[in-house]
Amino acid sequence: MKNTIIISLFTLLAVQLATAKTVKDSISGFTFQKMQFEAVMDFDCDACGCSASGGSMGFSSMLNANFVGVRYFNQSYSSRDGIFANSPWIDENFNTTQVWAKIPISDKIQITALIPYHFHDRALTSGTEKISGLGDVTIMATYSVYQTQKDSAVFAHNLQVGGGVKMPTGKFKESNNLGTVNQSFQLGTGSWDYLLLTEYVIKRKDLGLNTMLNYTLKTENDKKYQFGNQLNYGSTLFYLLDLNSVQLVPQLGLAGEIYETNKQYGEKVPDTSGDVLFSKFGVEVGKDKFSVGVNAMLPLSQNLSSGRIEANYRWSVNLNYTL
Amino acid sequence: MKNLIYKAIAVLALSATFTACSNDDETISGTGNLAIEFDNSFKGDDLILDTQANTTVSNEVLKISSIKYIISNIVLTKEDGTTFTYPKSESYFIVNEADIATHVLNLKDLPAANYTKVTFGVGVDKEQWQAGATGQGDFLATAQAAGMMWSWSAGYKFVAFEGTFTSATVTTPVPFKVHTGQTGTDYNYTTVALDLKTKALVRSTITPQIHIITDLAKILNSTNVIKLSDNNPNGTGANIMGGANLPLITANVATMFSVDHVHND
Repeated sequence: MKNTIIISLFTLLAVQLATAKTVKDSISGFTFQKMQFEAVMDFDCDACGCSASGGSMGFSSMLNANFVGVRYFNQSYSSRDGIFANSPWIDENFNTTQVWAKIPISDKIQITALIPYHFHDRALTSGTEKISGLGDVTIMATYSVYQTQKDSAVFAHNLQVGGGVKMPTGKFKESNNLGTVNQSFQLGTGSWDYLLLTEYVIKRKDLGLNTMLNYTLKTENDKKYQFGNQLNYGSTLFYLLDLNSVQLVPQLGLAGEIYETNKQYGEKVPDTSGDVLFSKFGVEVGKDKFSVGVNAMLPLSQNLSSGRIEANYRWSVNLNYTL
Repeated sequence: MKNLIYKAIAVLALSATFTACSNDDETISGTGNLAIEFDNSFKGDDLILDTQANTTVSNEVLKISSIKYIISNIVLTKEDGTTFTYPKSESYFIVNEADIATHVLNLKDLPAANYTKVTFGVGVDKEQWQAGATGQGDFLATAQAAGMMWSWSAGYKFVAFEGTFTSATVTTPVPFKVHTGQTGTDYNYTTVALDLKTKALVRSTITPQIHIITDLAKILNSTNVIKLSDNNPNGTGANIMGGANLPLITANVATMFSVDHVHND
């Protein structure tokens, strides 16, 4: 019941925001709208090692402001299967195929939806374990607080804030956490989680910088497990190359994630907090109404679960269709 | 702009509302079970019998073939400071590395509570031994089957630690046996108290597991340093089963347990 109320409230809020008076001109072609999506796309799932979040993956769509698309991403981790110095390291693969859409409600408001399907596996010493299924669906709204109005400005700015909700549509199974270090081998957190995000884009001619910060508040699920709150941050430099009918957008940046400690029955679960910083690079190619993006992330520094989990790499590919 | 700020506040207020609903005041009643796992290790490495070369602080290299010890008289302390003593007749266990079923002690019908500390003995207390053969219940047969008795009059072996070793002076592996228990002068039973980093929440629906790590390196190297090489008079092996070394080893045994974590599942 509580949850129904929450959804209603968010809907109400979105409608309210959408009807707010907005006066602004649209700015040139590929500018901000294109980079706006970065922060928004970061929420799939959570936690260290994560039930396969994009975490700070931050896949912007720079070529289409409003679209529907599909993205596949892979995250590779190594985790210690046990508590000892000689416990074996095992490989964990988190695979996600996600339908995503960003739909404008007004000039200043956009609604974003993420619908992930996960298929994860890990090679435990006792045999390979696989889980697959629908993940947690996220819906959020972003609002443009400030946007440079003139095309003639040397620097163009855009500041957005937003909020959203991640629903427990992915299955959380307690047994996946028994006796293993990585507590995030799950399809979902099993909880209603709330997102706050902010994003800033500054652009001069074809060069731009996108900076984002977002925070996920996670609540206790019905198995009395609560994943730690999560802070994602990142900055991406991008450049727009317009080659006749094809647009090419190379990008390079940093992305970080900070996880608080998980709790079970209100008791802290040891060795579940952590942080990781990635370098990221990618390119997006657009033609007509379609665009294809490829992205990769490599860790620069990390301390996940007291060193018991190591992020190896993440990569993704996506296909979008402009609405 | 002002309007926007109100909206931002509204979002934050909503978030606060959602997160504020999770503290239920529960009344704790009834009974539940508790598992205590003993996980043998050597200086941070999981123990592997027979094949693993374990180097001590004294630079002796041990290959451990067997480790068994008696855990007894379990007492749990609740968060209000009161204690629950597990029924004495049920409170004797043998942990044997070679038998995986013995690694976890399954305690039943404890009062539901939040427990913050576990206390146990290593060995069989003198009072129990003095109860005579008929006072031992099934445990006498269990201990005999596990080879954890010398004889009824000599009593139980509390810790039995065996394998082979080499050192700077002993280049060909020779056997070692460290058995603790009572001697003519010392009883050598010891008590261990461990705080739980995470409370063990015993409920009818939750069976917590306390995961204890036993660092076998400490049997020889802890408060006291015992060298097997010094106990190998004929060059055919080191047997420490009595004498002045047993109280020293018992003091070491008291330090070899630590709580790694508690699962509340």
